[in-house]
Amino acid sequence: MTTKRAVREVFGFFFSLGRRTGKTRVFALLGLVPVILAVVLRVVLHGRSGDIAAVFTEILMVFFLQFYIVILALFYGTSVAAEEVEGRTLSYLITRPVPKPAIILGKYAAYSLLMFLMVAVSLALSFFIMNAARLGDARLYLTFLSYLGVLGLGILAYTAFFTFLGTLLKKAILVGLVFGFGWENVIQYFPGSTQRFSVVHFLKSLLPYRPMGGGGGGLALLLFRLEPTAPLVAVMILAVIAGVFLALACGVFRTKEYLYEE
Amino acid sequence: MTAVIAASNLSKYYGNVLGLNEVSLDIESGITGLLGPNGAGKSTFMKLITGQMKPNIGHVTVRGRKAWNNPAVFRDIGFCPENDVFYEDMTGLEFVAGLLRFYGYSASEIKERAAKALDIVELTKDKDRLIRGYSRGMRQRVKFAQAIAHDPEIVILDEPLNGLDPLGKRKFIKLIKEFKSQGRTVLVSSHVLPEIEALTSRVVLIHQGKILAQGDIPYIRELIEAHPHMISVRSSDPRALAARFIGDRSIQKMSFGADGRTFVVETHKRDDFFGRLTGAVLEGGIEVEEISSPDDNLQAVFEYLVGK
Repeated sequence: MTTKRAVREVFGFFFSLGRRTGKTRVFALLGLVPVILAVVLRVVLHGRSGDIAAVFTEILMVFFLQFYIVILALFYGTSVAAEEVEGRTLSYLITRPVPKPAIILGKYAAYSLLMFLMVAVSLALSFFIMNAARLGDARLYLTFLSYLGVLGLGILAYTAFFTFLGTLLKKAILVGLVFGFGWENVIQYFPGSTQRFSVVHFLKSLLPYRPMGGGGGGLALLLFRLEPTAPLVAVMILAVIAGVFLALACGVFRTKEYLYEE
Repeated sequence: MTAVIAASNLSKYYGNVLGLNEVSLDIESGITGLLGPNGAGKSTFMKLITGQMKPNIGHVTVRGRKAWNNPAVFRDIGFCPENDVFYEDMTGLEFVAGLLRFYGYSASEIKERAAKALDIVELTKDKDRLIRGYSRGMRQRVKFAQAIAHDPEIVILDEPLNGLDPLGKRKFIKLIKEFKSQGRTVLVSSHVLPEIEALTSRVVLIHQGKILAQGDIPYIRELIEAHPHMISVRSSDPRALAARFIGDRSIQKMSFGADGRTFVVETHKRDDFFGRLTGAVLEGGIEVEEISSPDDNLQAVFEYLVGK
């Protein structure tokens, strides 16, 4: 079996399995938080959509960009290898005629798609509820797609990094928490080139840096102190981050012996 | 006969802990029993054969090919792990069929093979139930089904009879024997001699990471027979019973339990002792409440062999 085919089969196995786990149910429920918030705000802001809707859309993006995709990537990414070791199911996978890297790549792809779908549904519902007054405006859909694209890239980059941590470390989730909610949250506000040592910097560089709805501060809150990288460069760097950490994860998984805790 | 599995000077360490020590072993087709107490190195040996671990020293080959990081070798191997672990959110059918995807079969072939494997282990009726709802016996059987579904030439079963009731064990033993009758190679581990004895006459004794002995069951039995057996008899009059064995040369040691009702002997000839015991009990009109062998277990035999 070719590696490509093996990746596809592993993807199929874990996408099917991943949809029904308790973890997915919990994180899908978490995705309802911005939807509920959007509904509540729509009711409260009835008749005053414009600028305020734009501001709250920005707050929603803070939730998605700096919390939801990070926590999703952390739990799914680290679990790509770790849940097989902790659950002792690794024996079922590595005694099959598939190259070990195909297990990592297939499972990474399955979990990334799963996360993307959760984010897409949550973002679509909350975004369009919040901006219901502008549903006839074509620019709204472009904005939505650009947000979704940024979040998708974020999922790919963060998940690759956390997958690598999960293959390498026993307590990857703790290190991941420090990285995702410590380092990433602090370093992005450093001036100059220091902020480029965070993933979120490149994601924010891709956001439309203009006022929404014709007024207000637009993404001022989210883009506070951002010294953006050119969009094309940002996309390339995110792709490199994802590629490098995935390759490292595959390399570690191929060579490392995983022992079950007695 | 050519060895299907060949281990040469195989050693594995877990940090400073010895897992397997210089094991050289050839396993041929048919059933081979790997017998040893818990922690003897049986699972380590099986994990090395199935490429889950890399040897520190020596090497192991399966049909002439190394197992570590060699996916091609797994087309020929079916592995049933010891741990009672599964993807619990799957049904039995999804579990077996899902793992079959990794062999590159078409969807229809996967369906056919999964159905056949589940039928062999008598799980067809329960195939659509979640594994988390399976009984221990059913879990063992679905674990076996995933190991045989791709029709492997070599089946490696790590403590497959653990936790099964006697009827379940009997069914399982029949299944394994049927597999052997198809000319395949089966390596099965256990810490219970009668279980291995019911499966095969070819046994490898492993203890503290070393192969202590290998051969057929009569040879192993012989080793065990050479070990003095301790037999405890609880009766209404232990001293009267003991008096009848005073002149018996097959008895090496005699003592009485603290409860005043137990008579304990050490003998090399266990069967002879039991024969005489029956006569003594009948002649003396002594009521026997319980007969037990406190050291009639593998650990005692292994300790004896290691001491030897």
